[in-house]
Amino acid sequence: MSAAKADEPSTRVVDRAQYALAAFLAVVGAYVLYDAATLSAGFSDQVLSPAAFPYVVGGALVVLAVLLAVVTARGDVPEAEAGEDVDLTEGADWLTVAKLVGVFVVNIVLIDLLSWAITGALLFAGCTWVLGSRTHVRDLAIGAVMSVGTWYGFYVGLGIPIPAGILDGVL
Amino acid sequence: MTVVVAYSEDDQGRAALAHGVAEARLRDTDLVVVNATRGDSYVDRRFAAGSAADHLREELVRLGVDAVVRQPIDPDVAGAVLAVVAEVGADELVIGIRHRSPVGKMIAGSVAQRLLLDSPVPVLAVKPDGPAHSAV
Amino acid sequence: MDMLLDGFATALTPINLLYACIGVLLGTSVGVLPGIGPAMTVALLLPVTYNVSPEGALIMFAGIYYGGMYGGSTTSILLNTPGESSSVITAIEGNKMAKAGRAAQALATAAIGSFVAGTIGTVLLVALAPSVADWVVNLGAPSYFAIMLLALVAVTAVLGDSKLRGFISLALGLSIGLVGTSTGQPRLTFGNSLLADGIDIVVVAVAIFAIGEALWVAAHLRRRPLEITPVGRPWMGRADWSRSWRPWLRGTAYGFPFGALPAGGAEMPTFLSYITERRLSKHPEEFGHGAIEGVAGPEAANNASAAGTMVPLLALGLPTTATAAVILASMQSYGLQPGPGLFDNEPELVWGLLASLFVANTLLLVLNLPLAPVWAKLLRTPRPYLYAGILFFASLGAYSVNFQWFDLLVLLAFGLLGLAMRRFALPVLPLIIGVILGPQLEYQLGQALQLSEGDWTTLLSEPVAVVAYVVIALIVLVPLVARLRGGGTDPLEKELDDLEKEVRP
Repeated sequence: MSAAKADEPSTRVVDRAQYALAAFLAVVGAYVLYDAATLSAGFSDQVLSPAAFPYVVGGALVVLAVLLAVVTARGDVPEAEAGEDVDLTEGADWLTVAKLVGVFVVNIVLIDLLSWAITGALLFAGCTWVLGSRTHVRDLAIGAVMSVGTWYGFYVGLGIPIPAGILDGVL
Repeated sequence: MTVVVAYSEDDQGRAALAHGVAEARLRDTDLVVVNATRGDSYVDRRFAAGSAADHLREELVRLGVDAVVRQPIDPDVAGAVLAVVAEVGADELVIGIRHRSPVGKMIAGSVAQRLLLDSPVPVLAVKPDGPAHSAV
Repeated sequence: MDMLLDGFATALTPINLLYACIGVLLGTSVGVLPGIGPAMTVALLLPVTYNVSPEGALIMFAGIYYGGMYGGSTTSILLNTPGESSSVITAIEGNKMAKAGRAAQALATAAIGSFVAGTIGTVLLVALAPSVADWVVNLGAPSYFAIMLLALVAVTAVLGDSKLRGFISLALGLSIGLVGTSTGQPRLTFGNSLLADGIDIVVVAVAIFAIGEALWVAAHLRRRPLEITPVGRPWMGRADWSRSWRPWLRGTAYGFPFGALPAGGAEMPTFLSYITERRLSKHPEEFGHGAIEGVAGPEAANNASAAGTMVPLLALGLPTTATAAVILASMQSYGLQPGPGLFDNEPELVWGLLASLFVANTLLLVLNLPLAPVWAKLLRTPRPYLYAGILFFASLGAYSVNFQWFDLLVLLAFGLLGLAMRRFALPVLPLIIGVILGPQLEYQLGQALQLSEGDWTTLLSEPVAVVAYVVIALIVLVPLVARLRGGGTDPLEKELDDLEKEVRP
């Protein structure tokens, strides 16, 4: 096996990460099929069973997952999306993405306790920091103005009170 | 032995360049022009991009000085200039300065101030419309 | 005609005029700003639908749509960075013009051409959409099902390079659309009562367009600043006018029909317009070095196609571009169902919207000619603030749906999906259209089968449905046959590839 491989010209590039995508699609498809199987027959007047559509979509996902795995093995490489502000010539900076996700999770965890008016400011300042800004005080000030401003904007402009959390009575 | 000019694509930068060229001739040394950018915005008007960089090089050739242009991209612009100063063993740094309002000083940190305070070599600080403009 | 005049009465009330102004200014500025497009902007503004009147919100969104198209051309001309494939051509000739010191003329012909094309396109829209709607309203569920299926297949298979990836996106979108209890039983809710009403389209749209894009850009930030051509107020001389007006009209003629087709898009008509102008020009040698016809024609085609996409959106309820899809989502959150019934049920809204398209077009011209230097200054916005701002408003938009942290979690999950889609080159349009049309597809199929008492042949019982299935078969089979015959690639396609290589820096 290994000897045969060594003979092959190694010009073929395989994007291994794409197998992970195929696996993800297969898992989603399988779950959709499983979920469809747990549905009961539906009301007597429902000619189209509630399970019919999920069976089609789930089946399609599994088939597409297999096809994707096949073309990946054959050397299909995705042409990542370019954009006005995207430089694809250098490798991806996944650390920055991970940090941004971290800031986001902090917002999710704290928002019920501290309210949007506070976590929104932290979210903004945190993101500017991750993205390379080094003027912390100014960033935090801008974030605070934005989060408190949007709180009042929603309250006064749209008539929607955003939950105030621990600032209840202060805002 | 060399003179470093902190260049930006504006009046201060051009004044610094003019004086830097004069200094290099006076000392009979070569010139290193540093044009740094934080690289955090789509367009930086103080950064000589594309044809502006070509113009800058042509201008230096026309003036007949032995000069190289460096364009580091660094979130810390002052640090990038000082790194070049240390690397080439400069014996003088030329910068352009301008008046700033107290509010302006409060909001934005000053590159010029950091260069003045942190440079290990003597700093020549010039303002636009100085006498050396006509000398070049 | 009376209806349209009533529409102007709606569109010209001070408050709606204000919304049109906000929409146009916002649309142009986000078109100029790197990394933000009209689809993302409308998605971020979806929360305003909770309180602003439907007329006001839709008028604003239409302004953003038209403005975004225009703003994109500004950066293409001044910076040579086509944000979308439809402004690639503008970048080829426009940036060359700018480098030759004719930025003002390039911007002017783009702006005036957009105005001309947008106005003619809107006239055509006003003439066509009601009759299309009248025709569609008589169709039964089988035809409607077939037309929706056609739109899904067309958007998925015709646009984009890889059909496989298109269908993967579509299948993911359809699965997201399954979530909820619309059929009476919970599907894919994981036993979570918060998912019983389905996943809010606002959250999906914001996640895919805003979070996914911001994370993707954050992973690939362009560091080196670009060279911008300094610009004053756009203007044109007599010679420029005489060279521009024919390309404007021809571009409009290409753009509108392509926009109105389910999978036309704006890319193809801009290429066609460019090729036509190059063949017809008295100055073919100027093409590739800044020919004004090469900016005028494609820009007109681009905007006419935007007007064209409003035909299927309003008359059929079928979105054919990302921005149209998000506008459709906003209509749904008002409980409005775009489609044939809309003209009868909500005449004031529809005609107000149509009239406001004329208003938006005029505002674009009046505001943008003097404001061009201001837009150029926007490009100096530091990126940390730009992208932090996007993430901030995206979070606010998702949170404001129910004020539950759970929606933020869903936002993050789909944002990461959006990031993965960009990494693996999965197109976002089929996904978002799948989420929106999936439940309707199921509903129409259910209706059709209900009426026929379970007889599946009912699907072929209407001629329109049969035609739609034939077209679907053609879309799927023709490329396959062409590949099997091993025929050389289409000469047009080759020309497009060459053009694209020319412009990509």
